[in-house]
Order: sequence, then structure tokens, then C-alpha cells
Amino acid sequence: MKACLNFSDILEVSQPQINEMQRIGNSYPDAAAPGACEAFTRQVRLVEGIVVQTYGVAAALAKKADDLDEVSDVWNRMSRFCQSALRILADLKHKYAYCGTPQLYDLILDYKLAADKRYKGVMEEATCQKMEFPKGLLPKLN
Amino acid sequence: MSEDGVSEGAITKAELAELADLFDKFEFAFDPISTSAKEAESRFEDRIREIFEQKVVPAYPQLGFSIFCCKVRSLCREYLKRNAP
Repeated sequence: MKACLNFSDILEVSQPQINEMQRIGNSYPDAAAPGACEAFTRQVRLVEGIVVQTYGVAAALAKKADDLDEVSDVWNRMSRFCQSALRILADLKHKYAYCGTPQLYDLILDYKLAADKRYKGVMEEATCQKMEFPKGLLPKLN
Repeated sequence: MSEDGVSEGAITKAELAELADLFDKFEFAFDPISTSAKEAESRFEDRIREIFEQKVVPAYPQLGFSIFCCKVRSLCREYLKRNAP
């Protein structure tokens, strides 16, 4: 099989599960409603797996990227993906305070900060490339 | 030229290989909040600071640590790509 996916495809597949979390969250009046916490907890687990997996894909793609622009694009998209989940969870973590939601919020925030840090790092590297640097200090890659 | 395609500089190819290995373990960690990723990042920071103090400051006092760090990170990135398994 020769089909391959790019990061946009991965995000496109992942985003509906984030939106589904919003839908499930809104479909119950509160977490005490029959079945609410069970349904929401199940979705929380799915979203956790998706965010962790998507981050792993981002890391693999960043390592293989041809240039710093490509690396920065991967981390920027990963950060925005996390942000979209955090935006939904910001309200739901209060409504579903005992269904694993605050923990998921914290986890995704950690992953977003990790993506942001890598994005910032690569942007600094891009700026440094234009600066003068003493010859002979670093080993040369041939 | 050596087998890994690196010619020597003031910072040796062994030092670069060591830094690149640590860089790989945190920058491209699948789990960025794992203890192993955090430890690798901490060791990378310690090591790069050590090399800067020992080799860069005496020879190039005008060169700032942040620029040095930036260049080394880019070099590690390139090294890992060229030496991918």
C-alpha cells in the first residue's frame, strides 16, 4: 500500500473527536444526569489518546522535516489543535468536574506548552541562521 | 572526513554527537512531559552551558550564549537527519 497521510490529514481525522466532546458535553444538563459522566468520560479518554498520538506524529514529522519552516508549521498546527481542545474544555471542566475533565485539560495544556516551546525554539533558530558566527568553532557537517 | 560526515571544530564531533543524542531525546520525544524527556533536556542544557564556558567564552568572548545555543540546536537537528537510522 502506497497511500500516505500528511499532518493536515491527521488533524482532519482528529478534530471531529474534539468537536464530539463538545456535543456530548452540551447534550446533558449537568454531570449528574443519568449517563452523562459515563458518556463524557469515554469521550475524554478518546480525546486524550488522540492528543497524545497526534503529538507523537508531530514530533516524528518535525524530526524528518526538510527545513525550519516546515518544523515551525508542524508545531504551530499542533499548538492550535491543542488550543481548540482547551477552548472546549475550559467550560466543560467545570460542568464535568469529576469525569476526568480537569485532568485532560491539564494534560492538553502541557502538550500545548511543549508544542509552543518547540515552535519558539525553531523560530529562534531561523533568526540565528542569518547571524554571523565564528568559523571553526562548531564541527562542520559535510 | 569521518564516517558520520562530520569534520572536527573547536567543539568536537564526539561532543556534537552527545548533544544531538540528548536533543533527540527531548525535542522529538513522543511524550514531552515524560521524565526521560525532561531529564534529557536538563542534561542538554547543562552540557551546552559547560561547553560554552570551557570553549567558547575564552576564545570568543563576544559571542552570546543564546546565539551559541541556537546554532548548536540547528546543528543537532541537521546531524540527526544525516545520521538517521
